[in-house]
Amino acid sequence: MHYFTITRSVVFALLIINKAGGLIFNRTFAPGLQKLDSNDYLILAGTFHGIHAISRSINPAPPEPQTQPPATHPRRPITTGIESLESSHFRLTCYQTATGVKFLLFTSPEQPNTEVVVRRCYEIFGDFVMKNPFYNLEMPVRVEKFERALAGYLVRP
Amino acid sequence: MSVYSLYIFDRHTECIYTKRWTDRHALPAIRSTAGGALSNGSSSTANDIPAATRRAMKHSDDAKLIFGTIFSLRRMVRQLGGTDDQFLSYRTGEYKLHYFETPTQLKLIMLTDLHVGNMRTVLYQIWATLYVEYVVKSPLAPTEHASGVGVANELFEGGLERFIVSTM
Repeated sequence: MHYFTITRSVVFALLIINKAGGLIFNRTFAPGLQKLDSNDYLILAGTFHGIHAISRSINPAPPEPQTQPPATHPRRPITTGIESLESSHFRLTCYQTATGVKFLLFTSPEQPNTEVVVRRCYEIFGDFVMKNPFYNLEMPVRVEKFERALAGYLVRP
Repeated sequence: MSVYSLYIFDRHTECIYTKRWTDRHALPAIRSTAGGALSNGSSSTANDIPAATRRAMKHSDDAKLIFGTIFSLRRMVRQLGGTDDQFLSYRTGEYKLHYFETPTQLKLIMLTDLHVGNMRTVLYQIWATLYVEYVVKSPLAPTEHASGVGVANELFEGGLERFIVSTM
């Protein structure tokens, strides 16, 4: 007897990490990842924050050849950290904003356009959290409109 | 489409093989100051550690950082995806890191540029046709490669060079 597993593209969870490495938002939208308690998510966010920084410093790509000699001393090239991570059961897309906030999106490996999805989450964050006058910066996000807008965008009916 | 480096770690978390095809700690070629030109240089300020030693320290630091990174990522993936989930690779804006672990907890890590696809089969082949053939089956190589003894033999290195050149 055959069991078919229909793989569909689905968003499992979204985590938002502030620029100090602390978790400020964590929500699961579909089952598929292991159930972790809130403490585990905090530890995970801090660990990933550190790994993201290390992944920038182990960049092996040779620096671009410079056409003219640098003015004072050679500047180190701008490097980025982990943008995407693949495992057999999920894919993690990390978008780091210019202010140092990291958006971690956990999806199934088949989910296309994860970059577009995470940018849209950032836009929703900007609209409902950043523009909220009562939100304290770098603190945990407790904004209901944000949660509703996010659920409307990420949860498949 | 290029491969930057390959690292092999054994089950005792030691780096037993390193191979670099690009040197990112290469010293800058020309540094001109207002007064004159300094070539190939250690900095003009008095520095007790010679440049060559500093480069070697940076290279061994790289291996340690890479091991720490994959160890933590592997643990994170197991936590999130279940005990049968495997960390496969990650990508930054500049490079990709590919990971392959054998049942004997030997870890092969390859850093490449962004234009390569899935290197899992490549890493599997490096392990099966080069490492197992030339290192494991070598009667002169010890079973435990403490600090890399016995791994970097001629056949393995030559085979690896030819293999990488043929896939690039």
